[in-house]
Amino acid sequence: MPSPNVHPFVWLLRKECRELLVSRSWWLLLFLMGPLTGMPYLSALRAYAEMSKQGGTVADAGEVLSPLTGVWAPAFSGCELAGVFLLPFVAIRIIGADRLSGAAKLELQRRSSPVSRIAAKALVALGGWLIAMAPAGCALALWKYYGGLLHWPEVGSLFTGHILNAGLMIAVAAAAASVTEHPSTAAVMTLGVTVGTWIVNFFAALQGGLWERAAAFTPAAVVGDFQRGLFRMDSTLVALVLVLTGLGLASIWQFTGVRRLVNLARSAALIVTAVAAIGGASRVRLDWDVSQNRANSFPLADELALLRIRQPLRIVARLAPEDPRRADLERNAFAKLRRTVPDVEIAYLASTSTGLFEQAAEGYGEIQYDMNGRLLLSRATSVDGVLEAVYAVSGTEAAKNVQEVVFRGRPLVIDPAGGSTIFYVLIPGFTLLCGVLAHRHFTWLPK
Amino acid sequence: MPETMLRVRNVQKRFGQAFALKDVSFEIRDGEVLGLIGPNGAGKSTLLECMAGQLPMDGGAVLNGDGRPVIAADTLFYVPDGITPWAAQRVSWLLDFFIGYFAGRAELRDSVVEQLELSSFLRQSLGTLSKGQRKRVLVAMGLLAPQPVLMIDEPLDGLDLKQMQELARVLRAHASLGRTLFLSIHQISDAARFCDRFVLLSGGRVCGEGTVKELAEIASARDGARTFATLEEVFLAIA
Repeated sequence: MPSPNVHPFVWLLRKECRELLVSRSWWLLLFLMGPLTGMPYLSALRAYAEMSKQGGTVADAGEVLSPLTGVWAPAFSGCELAGVFLLPFVAIRIIGADRLSGAAKLELQRRSSPVSRIAAKALVALGGWLIAMAPAGCALALWKYYGGLLHWPEVGSLFTGHILNAGLMIAVAAAAASVTEHPSTAAVMTLGVTVGTWIVNFFAALQGGLWERAAAFTPAAVVGDFQRGLFRMDSTLVALVLVLTGLGLASIWQFTGVRRLVNLARSAALIVTAVAAIGGASRVRLDWDVSQNRANSFPLADELALLRIRQPLRIVARLAPEDPRRADLERNAFAKLRRTVPDVEIAYLASTSTGLFEQAAEGYGEIQYDMNGRLLLSRATSVDGVLEAVYAVSGTEAAKNVQEVVFRGRPLVIDPAGGSTIFYVLIPGFTLLCGVLAHRHFTWLPK
Repeated sequence: MPETMLRVRNVQKRFGQAFALKDVSFEIRDGEVLGLIGPNGAGKSTLLECMAGQLPMDGGAVLNGDGRPVIAADTLFYVPDGITPWAAQRVSWLLDFFIGYFAGRAELRDSVVEQLELSSFLRQSLGTLSKGQRKRVLVAMGLLAPQPVLMIDEPLDGLDLKQMQELARVLRAHASLGRTLFLSIHQISDAARFCDRFVLLSGGRVCGEGTVKELAEIASARDGARTFATLEEVFLAIA
């Protein structure tokens, strides 16, 4: 006899958990996660071991031999792939199946908000995803077993990135499953959104400008930041707003007995609110470099000096979006400058996307630094060149007598013995066994 | 005469330009078994879905006895036809879920299981059941729901004659305990067996409302001196 003291939301959670356990798409996701994680992880381990033999512990080897970028990020790359291409189908199954089976017609007759239904489904989908990430956790445990060290802030950053990515995919899938009548349409819509983010990245590379700004918040970019050990508050907040918007849209379209026009009006209001919230969230300048090798920061002495610059610094770089120098400049210098200098504005100028036909044009390739009318022109795109220019235009210099512990890498020469067996045999085999047991448990027939 | 529990007033529903329901009005009385009868495509399921708040109405309202609009979730529970909800879950768990989630009539669980003869497949998942067994489980869910009015779309569909008679007896027993039932039935002869009154729907309009005798009088009035003894004859004359 069911207990009268159990809250209806708990009943919903229980029901969704049971539905997840009988979902073949989820078991298939779990089955594939072992090989998807093992393949990049084991090849990354072998490459890391080879580099460890060569590189020793010299300072320059630090970045190359960072376990975060060398081993852990590849171990989690399977999660990114599964998060984009497999998880949406699981989420669509969780959210859309009720409509097809008619269960939604019964459930929605309870006087409660569809928001709680969607919340329960999203929570269970996220729980299912956390279980699917177990092989990646297993990869970390193996790394530790092989003698490697774990830097928990980096591990936390990786997990956060992939959970945010999963949250985004679940929200998109939830919205698509609620808006459309059939799961196959929802699947096409969800993949359409994913392809849409790739198009944004493509245009960002071609055109720069607003596209570049938008591309910084695509799931791939968000995961990329976390994979480098950079915890950015703006992209985290934007991702959270997008998650809430997706789940909100899903809830709106779950209401029964409401005219389509009313749903459209509510959806439009939600989207307008979300756009405003994203506008605010994207302006938050707060981040943490949690990488062991400070991959996202300047050396400490330079950082302390740059933090002291209080006057506004304006930089204009005449480089086309597809010019490889621009990518290097952005990744190695300007991204760090934005994080460090309190008031900095960086703009790119170019009349073509490739820059091929601008090379001979006057001023192409120049970077202009401007601080209170003091101008400096430079063509250097290296970190040292940029720092030199900033110091010159601001009249400051790197702090002296700063003791900085140089990260010398974590070389580890190992042969990942048993790894293949774990990822290609044990994990899929265990998943298969659990799946069969769960199936038998739910479809047990009396004699 | 029992008190009026619900008044359905001028309900309209359009799909595009076509009217599915036009000015549908009738009453549901406390504790009665009211049958909604009509040919295929008459708008029976649409009417039930509009009343349950699952489809937006284009006009009209469902009022309580005092003339105030009812909140469907508080008053009505609707069991649709042709659904297989939570197919992989066991029947016993589903009944528990239903009682827990809807704050349903837990005290009736055992008797409903016994009355509808569900005990032999309580441990089976809903998807493995036959059409008739599934229908009985869905009816059980409806009987366990807390709302005072239970609407079932085609409760007899998929049942054999014996099961039909048994279900009719169970539904009558629940009506005698104060539950009001509104059943959509397309087999007129089946409906005649256990409904107290009928609403005859045809082409989205109500053609008549009342007992077999009252409907026969309406039919006679329309068709001169002819007399009508059965609901089928009345139906053919009016619809």
